[in-house]
Amino acid sequence: MKQTKAFLILLCMVCVGIAFITIEKYKPTPLKFIIPKGWPKPAFDFKRNPLTQEGFELGKKLFYDERLSKDSTISCASCHQQFSAFATFDHPFSHGYNNSFTTRNAPALQNLAWQKEFMWDGGINHLEVQPITPIVAENEMAETLENVILKLKRDTAYLRMFKAAFGDATINTQRMNKALNQFMVMLVSSNSKYDRVMRGEDTFNLPQRLGYEIFKQKCASCHKEPFFTDFTYRNNGMPLDATINDIGRMRITGNKNDSLKFKVPSLRNVDITYPYGHDGRFFTLDNVFEHYRKNMQPIHTTDSLLKNKLYLSNFQIGQVTAFLFTLTDSGFLKNPKFAAPAYSKPTILHQH
Amino acid sequence: MRKNVTLYMLFSLLHVIASAQNNTVIKLVHKVGDKTLQLHTETYFNQFNEPFTVHKFKYYITGLQIEYENGKKKYTFEKPYHLVAEEDSTTKMITLNKPLKNITTISFLLGVDSLRNVSGAQTDDLDPMKGMFWTWNTGYIYAKLEGQSDSSNAAAHYFSYHVGGYKTNENAARKVVLKIDEKSQSPINEIAIEADILKWFVGANEIKISNAAVCHQPGVLAMMLADNYKNMFTIKAIK
Repeated sequence: MKQTKAFLILLCMVCVGIAFITIEKYKPTPLKFIIPKGWPKPAFDFKRNPLTQEGFELGKKLFYDERLSKDSTISCASCHQQFSAFATFDHPFSHGYNNSFTTRNAPALQNLAWQKEFMWDGGINHLEVQPITPIVAENEMAETLENVILKLKRDTAYLRMFKAAFGDATINTQRMNKALNQFMVMLVSSNSKYDRVMRGEDTFNLPQRLGYEIFKQKCASCHKEPFFTDFTYRNNGMPLDATINDIGRMRITGNKNDSLKFKVPSLRNVDITYPYGHDGRFFTLDNVFEHYRKNMQPIHTTDSLLKNKLYLSNFQIGQVTAFLFTLTDSGFLKNPKFAAPAYSKPTILHQH
Repeated sequence: MRKNVTLYMLFSLLHVIASAQNNTVIKLVHKVGDKTLQLHTETYFNQFNEPFTVHKFKYYITGLQIEYENGKKKYTFEKPYHLVAEEDSTTKMITLNKPLKNITTISFLLGVDSLRNVSGAQTDDLDPMKGMFWTWNTGYIYAKLEGQSDSSNAAAHYFSYHVGGYKTNENAARKVVLKIDEKSQSPINEIAIEADILKWFVGANEIKISNAAVCHQPGVLAMMLADNYKNMFTIKAIK
């Protein structure tokens, strides 16, 4: 009897001890999200998914992990490349599983914390469900969520990292996406020359300044500062490409008035995110300007601002281009924090 | 000491038996007309004499609530979202951890409430992994009926009805209220509820496989199907 009592007391102590250890262990390091001066409040719900260093690191590992695809060849980062502001550099479409191609131009991933809807047609209503789409799409990563979760569960490094990020080693779709989201919302581009000028830390040269004035007159009603998009869906007179038959926003709303409407893309880092347009049909900025001033084909759903096309002289195009180049944020493109995990660690010198 | 342990074990065993008897189980039985549903192998005929087989039959039961003690009390099922799948028999047995008697109504939402459609990635039965989720146009598929039919004009004569939609004018979630007229004083062990697949084709709307073999997005057809199948449930037996 005495022995049993002693045993029970010991058991209690062990239990309390374990509880303490578990509580002790889950202490993630909070990660601060800095809202650039003058920018609005983000749409992202930081209470639902509080940013931590551990969550961010896990998200980054997932973002760069090819095993999220069916044959372990494609990661998120394959099509969202840092040096191209997380768009696909120099490609109208991105390469998918088994020699397939996507049917839309991969958008840059930047300032996602301020976006409420995703994709060119806005079909996705929450950042937390966004990563599922490329993972399961047959012409992208072509994998099932079951397999992805299974692969992650078999990797002890992931078990450790999920535990560090969320308190226990449970791995499910929600946690994977929350971690990915933590990485994704940290991709803030707010330090281009334009931003520095706006903060009074730098000055435009003459063509840039003239270009900015023209931009504010001719472009800024849709490409609204500070995001250089107003996040609306508009038809800018690009005729339907019969090989793709992409009707845009109408696919989501079923509304004929939304035919050929696509989300206004941000122009941040525009210099290095070519080609342009939802299907990447414009290879250079010059192609884009020619479209607006000449080639556009307005139909009944074309934006009222563009009913008479958008006249720009050669001189104006030159100035606007000079301004657009000031939107390149080289600090963002080269930030080691966002690079593949192997490249972002400090170099360890091996000494004997 | 050993005696104590034996006694304790006996008591816990008794407790388990007693609580098992005090559960009320809702058993879902899937039918096609008067036949019990068999996946893949059986060919059935709908009201338009169109032959069809069934490969998949799944639906969400949300916020299951039971009014008992002649409507004086309400019991809410602990699991807010329950996915029923023909191929997984455990999903067709819903165990309510309470002995209920004098039940007057069983009600639930057939589908998923709009809030869950717009609140990010969910867990458990709502995990997008369950295959009841549209990725390209965010939203849950509330009910799925898939199979093959010679009357289908779709590729390989497949027909597949995926019903969902949460937006205004597209909402396909339907409230189901089943009334019971049972006045027994003893606690109920089992309530058998039948779901008849033939109800998908008729009711509010006539839907022929030959005219509409595919529904893969929210909209008019999805809502027509929902208006039909919301009447597929009947209470068959109370024991």
